[in-house]
Amino acid sequence: MELRFDGITKTFGELEVIRQFETTIRQGEIVALVGPSGCGKSTLLHMVAGLQHPSSGSLTADGKDVSRPSPERTLVFQEHALYPWMTLIENVALALEFQNRDKTYAREQARKWLGRVKLAGFEDYYPHQVSGGMRQRCALARAFIARPEVLLLDEPFGALDALTRMTLQSVLKDLIEEERPTVVLVTHDVDEALYLADRVLVFSNRPATVLQEIELGHIPKTHDLSAFAHIRRDVLQLLGIDTDSEETITETLQATPQATPSRQGEIA
Amino acid sequence: MADSNASGVASKRAYVVAIAVILLMWQVAAWFLPDFLMPDVPVALQRLWQELQSPAFYEGLGNSMSRLGAGYGAALVSGIILGLVGGTLNAVRSTLKAGIIILQSIPSIAWVPLFLILMGFGNLPIIVVVAIGAFFPTALSVMNATESVEKVHISAARVMGASKLQMLRRVYFPAVTPELITGAQLAFGNAWRALISAEMIVGFSAGLGKSLAYSGEIADMTGVMTNILVIAVLAAVIDQVILERIKHRLLRYQYL
Repeated sequence: MELRFDGITKTFGELEVIRQFETTIRQGEIVALVGPSGCGKSTLLHMVAGLQHPSSGSLTADGKDVSRPSPERTLVFQEHALYPWMTLIENVALALEFQNRDKTYAREQARKWLGRVKLAGFEDYYPHQVSGGMRQRCALARAFIARPEVLLLDEPFGALDALTRMTLQSVLKDLIEEERPTVVLVTHDVDEALYLADRVLVFSNRPATVLQEIELGHIPKTHDLSAFAHIRRDVLQLLGIDTDSEETITETLQATPQATPSRQGEIA
Repeated sequence: MADSNASGVASKRAYVVAIAVILLMWQVAAWFLPDFLMPDVPVALQRLWQELQSPAFYEGLGNSMSRLGAGYGAALVSGIILGLVGGTLNAVRSTLKAGIIILQSIPSIAWVPLFLILMGFGNLPIIVVVAIGAFFPTALSVMNATESVEKVHISAARVMGASKLQMLRRVYFPAVTPELITGAQLAFGNAWRALISAEMIVGFSAGLGKSLAYSGEIADMTGVMTNILVIAVLAAVIDQVILERIKHRLLRYQYL
């Protein structure tokens, strides 16, 4: 599914969040939106999901105006999006039940998808009984089960520790390669963007405009991103982060007095 | 699990102690007052035993319970519906809430004279008074809970393509269940008070309230205390055993 953003502007009252955003995301492309927090990149994602609407400009999916949510365009939230009153398998099956699919079929599929994200054996656990990483695996299963044409990810692993995050990035990468949806990923983690995306859009502070577009192409990648060191440095510099001290950046964009050092290349 | 068992035992012990203290206070009062004013506890228990053998007692109990069931049941259903609908409609929510808060401050028993004339002498005015007592706390708790359903839970359902009805059934309803149960327990207290007082005033056919009022009229203090005992025990059993059990069943996921 091709997504076309045409002169998208979004204002909340007096506050201009996004200014004149233009791009076309090709069918099957994986695009990462990187930028400072609160710059409006999540708003763009929610527009594609049909949860929010542009103040002006047009957003089309395969030529049709995006005006409301549709299971073709599904969104994975940062956290707390699983229903605490349902077990993992019920959470995943719900995506099909909402499309009025047969309950037994939905459960079968949910079991299969939980297996694909390595959660076999945890079907009947409630979300609060498993770890944050397992909850996000489940959230991925719930997104993929509906076979969406567009997969939208809103800082999907933002609340996880570094190691779990890298594992889940690999799980996600495999799923994307097998299912080939069009992907829009919002992240504040530059390494995540470089690892997963074919193209990275770097956003400025509010009102968000694109500072730079980096074409990475669809090439096989591992978590060893040393080949991308120069790109990574450029991106961090664009985001206003001092990269003189080589690869040991721990500064954050909105440094707070007691800011705990975050992972390399991460901006708050 | 071990923890919840331990606290279960502790709360059971607390109940036993509380009951013993209450009965002791009653007995102390009975020692100081003449028998025709305050009967001894064993005398009342003996009367209770006799009552439990008589069919008249069960007729009254049955009448009271069916009035309670009808009124409380109707209040729960309508309270949940109004709460969910009101909670999702931003336009009318504040007005609706204000209305409920105003009406709620009227003791439901105050409606009896109106309903007696409106509906005639019978079961209906009692049931309606019970329903009014239970309706407001139910509706208010569901409405407040509906308002504070997590945005991400709603967005997630919309993204998955949920219809309005599916959204109510699968997202809003389970999300408000914890508060609904608290509201329903509060509502039960109101319903129970309304039932007994309405039966005492209306005095239509047998019932726990009527039996209590009648004992008073003939100055049968043993009868009065026996009836009070029945009313207290029943309320405790319904609230602490039946409603608590339903709560644990519905909120099973929270207790794991």
